[in-house]
Amino acid sequence: MPPTKHATATLVVIEDSDEDFDTVQQAVKRAGITADVFRAATGVDGLTVLRAQASTGPTLVLMDLNTPGTDGREALAAIKSDPAFKSVPVVVLSTSGNQRDIGFCYAAGANAYHVKPVQYPQHLAVLVDVLTYWLSRVMLPAGEASRS
Amino acid sequence: MTHTTDIPPPWASQPYSVKRHGVTITNCDNEPVQTPGCVQAHGALLVLRPTDLTILQASENTDRLLGHAAQTLLNKPVRAAVGPDGEARLKAFLATEPTDRNPLHVFSLPARNGVPPLDVTAHTIDGVAVVEFEATGRTLAGEPDYYALVKKTVARLQTAQTLQEFCNLTADEFRTLTGLDRVMIYKFHADGHGEVVAESKRADLDPWLGLHYPAGDFPQPAREVFKQIWVRPTPDVAGDLAELVPLANPDTGRPLTMTYCALRGASVMYTDYLKNMTVTAGLTMPIRRAGELWGLIACHHYAGPKHVPYQVRAACEFLAQVVSLQYQAAEDREHMAYRLKLDETHQQLIAQATREDGLAALIEGAPNLIDGISASGAALYHRGRWWRVGNTPTEAELEALSEWLNDRPEFASATRPLYSANALAQAYPPAAAFADVASGLLAVPLSRANRNWILWFRPETTQTVNWGGNPHEKPTVLGPHGPRLTPRASFELFQESVRGRSLPWLTVELDAAARLRMLVLEVVVSRAQRLADLNANLTQSNEELDAFAYVASHDLKEPLRGIHKYAHQLLEDATITDKEQRRKLDGLMRLTVRMDSLLDSLLHFSRVGRAALQTEDTDLNELVNESIEMVDARRAEGPTEIAVPRPLPHARCDRVRCREIFVNLLSNALKYNDKPQKRVEIGFIAPHEVHPRASCPSGCADLTIYYVRDNGIGIPARYFEQVFKMFKRLHGRDEYGGGTGAGLTIVQKLVERHHGRVWLESTPGKGTTFYFTLAAQEEA
Repeated sequence: MPPTKHATATLVVIEDSDEDFDTVQQAVKRAGITADVFRAATGVDGLTVLRAQASTGPTLVLMDLNTPGTDGREALAAIKSDPAFKSVPVVVLSTSGNQRDIGFCYAAGANAYHVKPVQYPQHLAVLVDVLTYWLSRVMLPAGEASRS
Repeated sequence: MTHTTDIPPPWASQPYSVKRHGVTITNCDNEPVQTPGCVQAHGALLVLRPTDLTILQASENTDRLLGHAAQTLLNKPVRAAVGPDGEARLKAFLATEPTDRNPLHVFSLPARNGVPPLDVTAHTIDGVAVVEFEATGRTLAGEPDYYALVKKTVARLQTAQTLQEFCNLTADEFRTLTGLDRVMIYKFHADGHGEVVAESKRADLDPWLGLHYPAGDFPQPAREVFKQIWVRPTPDVAGDLAELVPLANPDTGRPLTMTYCALRGASVMYTDYLKNMTVTAGLTMPIRRAGELWGLIACHHYAGPKHVPYQVRAACEFLAQVVSLQYQAAEDREHMAYRLKLDETHQQLIAQATREDGLAALIEGAPNLIDGISASGAALYHRGRWWRVGNTPTEAELEALSEWLNDRPEFASATRPLYSANALAQAYPPAAAFADVASGLLAVPLSRANRNWILWFRPETTQTVNWGGNPHEKPTVLGPHGPRLTPRASFELFQESVRGRSLPWLTVELDAAARLRMLVLEVVVSRAQRLADLNANLTQSNEELDAFAYVASHDLKEPLRGIHKYAHQLLEDATITDKEQRRKLDGLMRLTVRMDSLLDSLLHFSRVGRAALQTEDTDLNELVNESIEMVDARRAEGPTEIAVPRPLPHARCDRVRCREIFVNLLSNALKYNDKPQKRVEIGFIAPHEVHPRASCPSGCADLTIYYVRDNGIGIPARYFEQVFKMFKRLHGRDEYGGGTGAGLTIVQKLVERHHGRVWLESTPGKGTTFYFTLAAQEEA
C-alpha cells in the first residue's frame, strides 16, 4: 500500500498547548505525511476552523479533550452531530485515562481515544502511529476526501 | 395473728360509738376515727343547726359542765345552754368569722356552781355548727405571754445549723411551752415506720431517742387526720368518754364528723397504746412537708391528767405550722450545699465528655460519676460495651439487670424517666446475688434503646434498728377491753438487723440524676449534630478532592509533558556536548516522569476512596492466585516461594479491590526483600483461634485476620505508622525498585473501605507480617 492515499491531507488539531501542538507537527513530519495542518486552541475555534475547511473537507480531527472555553466534549458532540462532519474521523488525545472520559467520548462518536504520555518520545510515537494509521492505512469514506 | 372474722364491723350497720363498740386489732386500720360518736368527758359539745342555732345533739355530760341534761337541751335554742348573751355572740361570730373546719375561740363562760370558767370554741362542718366547752385552765397567777414565747421559739429555730439541731430545738421548745414530761420528734420512714429522731424529757425518764416503731403503731386513719388538723389533745388517757345524744344528727341521720373537734373521743386502740407506755396525758402535732405527713411532735405526760388549755394549744398549733415550714427550709439549706456540689461535679463531667467527645469520660475521667451522687459504683453502656467504675455487678449481671430495667414502667414517663431502689432485691430477686455491691440502684435512661443507662450503685448497709417492741407481731394478750383490743404488750427494746438495704437515695440526688440525664442528652444530640456537619464537610471535601485529582491528572500533567519534551529536544541537540549539562537534562526528564507517576498514584488513591464497593461472596483463594499471577514478573528476580499453608476461607468483599490489597502486600513483600531465597506466606487466623501475639487492635478479636508474611528487610517499629502515610518511603526512591510510596496507603484505604483494620509486626532484618481484617457490610 502506498504511504499516502491523498496527496495532501487536511488535519484539524484542536489543542491549547503550544508544546503539544508542536509535538503533533513533529509527528506529521516524522510520519512523512503531507498535510495542511490547521490549529484551533479552543473547541469553539475548532468548529470555526472545521467550517472554514468545509469545502475541501477535513481529513482528520485530532482533539484534546480539555481545551479551554468550550470543552472538548462539547466540540466533539457538535462535530459528530453535524451532518457535514460526522463521518470525519475524530481522534481524542487526552491526559486522562479516566473511564468516564473514555466512555463519554466513544458514546459521543469519537473514533479513537489515546492517552498522551508525559514522556516526549512515547508521546511522539503515539502521534506518529495515529497519523500513519488514520491518514495512510485506513480507508476513509469517499465524500469529502474525493472533493479534494 | 390475723383474726379472720365473718362478722362485719359494728360501724357497718349503725352509728358508731367508740365507747360502745371499740375496735379490734385487725380492723383498727379502717376504724372510723373521724366519727367516734363520743367526746372526751372533760369537755362538753353541742351540735347546732346554723340557721336558727337550735341544739340538735349534745354530749351526755352537759349536765355536769353546762348545768342541763343533754335530753333537756335537744331542740332548744342554744341560749338554753349559754344564755341570750352567749347566743348573740355565737350568732355574730358564726356569721362573720372563718369558722369552716376551723375551731376558733368565741368567748369564755365564767365559773359557776363549782364549774371552772369554760372556753367556748366553735366551727362549722357538713352543714352544722359545733360548739365545744372545756376548762380555760386560767390560774390566778395570770397568763404567760404566749405570743412572746412563740416569737422567741421561732427566732431560736432559725438559728439551727443542721436538721438534727433543728429537731432537738423543736423538742425542747414544745416541752417548755406545754409543760409535758416528754416531747419526741417522730420521723416517718418511707415504709411507714416511725423513728424518734429527737427527744426532750424529764431527766428521770428512760430515753426513747433512736427507737423505731412499726408502721402499725400509727394506723392509717390516724395519719389521715394529721394531714387535716394541727393539734390533737388527749388530756386524760384514762378519762371517760361521753357519747353524743342522739348519736346521729336528727336532721340528716348522719354521724358528726369530729375531725376538727379538740374533744374528739380517742380510739381505744390509741388510749390503750398510751396506757401500755404508762402515758397519762398526751398532745400531738403533725410536721408536714409539702402536704405529706413527715412526722409527729408527740408530747407525753406521766403524772396524771394534764389539760393543755385552748390558748396554749393555739400556740402549739401555730408553732407546729412554723416548724413544718422551717423544717422544710432547714432541710433545703442542708440539701442546697449538696445540690450545689452535685451540680458542679456534673457540669465538670459534661464539660469533660464534650471535650473528649465521648460519654466514656463520665466513667474514666476525673472526676467521674461516683464523685457526684454519693455511690460506691457506676456503670454506663456506651459504644457497644459496658464502662464501669467503683464496685458494680459483673457485666453479665448488668446485662440481665438492664433487661429487667427495660420493662420498668418508670421509664415510660416522658418528663422524668428514672428508677431508684434502696432494696433492689425486693423488686428484682436476682439482685440478692450482688446485694453487697448493689442493694441500692439509681438508673436513668439515655435513650429508648436497650441497655442505654447510667446506673449508680450503693452497697448494702447492715443497719441495726432498735425497735420499741417486736415489730413482727401484734400480740394478743388480754387487754382491759377484752382479747380484741390488745395493742403492743411490751415496749422492751427489740433489736433487728436490716439486710439487703442501702442508704436511701435523697430527693436531691434523684433531681441531680434527672438533670444530668438532660445534660448528657444535650451532649449526645449536639454530637450527632456535629457529626452531621462533619459529614457534610467531608462530602464537600471529597468532591473537592475529586476535582483536585482531575486537575492534577490534566492541568499538572500538561506542563510536565512540555518540560519533558524540551529537555528531550535539548538532549537531542548535538551542539550541547557538556556532560554536566546533559546529566542535568537527564535529571530533569527523570523528575517529570516521577512526578507523573506520583500524580497517577494520587488519582488512583482518590478513586479508591470514593468508588462504591461491589461486595460479594468471594473465594479468597482465587483472589490470591490471581494476585500471585499479577506480581509474577517479580518472581523472576530471584528464587521466590509464595506459600498458602491452608486454603483461605470465603469472605464478603469487593473482589477487585480486595485483590489489589493482596497485590500491593505481595509486591511489597517481594520488593523489600534482600534474601537470596525470598519467602512469602499468605494465611489467616480464624476468630476462635488463639492469636500468639498481642498486637491485634481492639474490635478485631471476633473477626478472621488475614496476613501476608515475608522474610524481607523488616521495618523498625518507629515506622509502623509512617509506612501507611501517602508518598512516605523509607528508602531512597530508586532503592528496592522505586515506587511512589502510595501502595500501603492504598491498602489501608481499601481495608478501611471494608470496615477492617490493617496493622503489622516486623523484625528488622528478619521480615514483616501485615495483618488485616475485612468486615464489609457495605451494600452490594
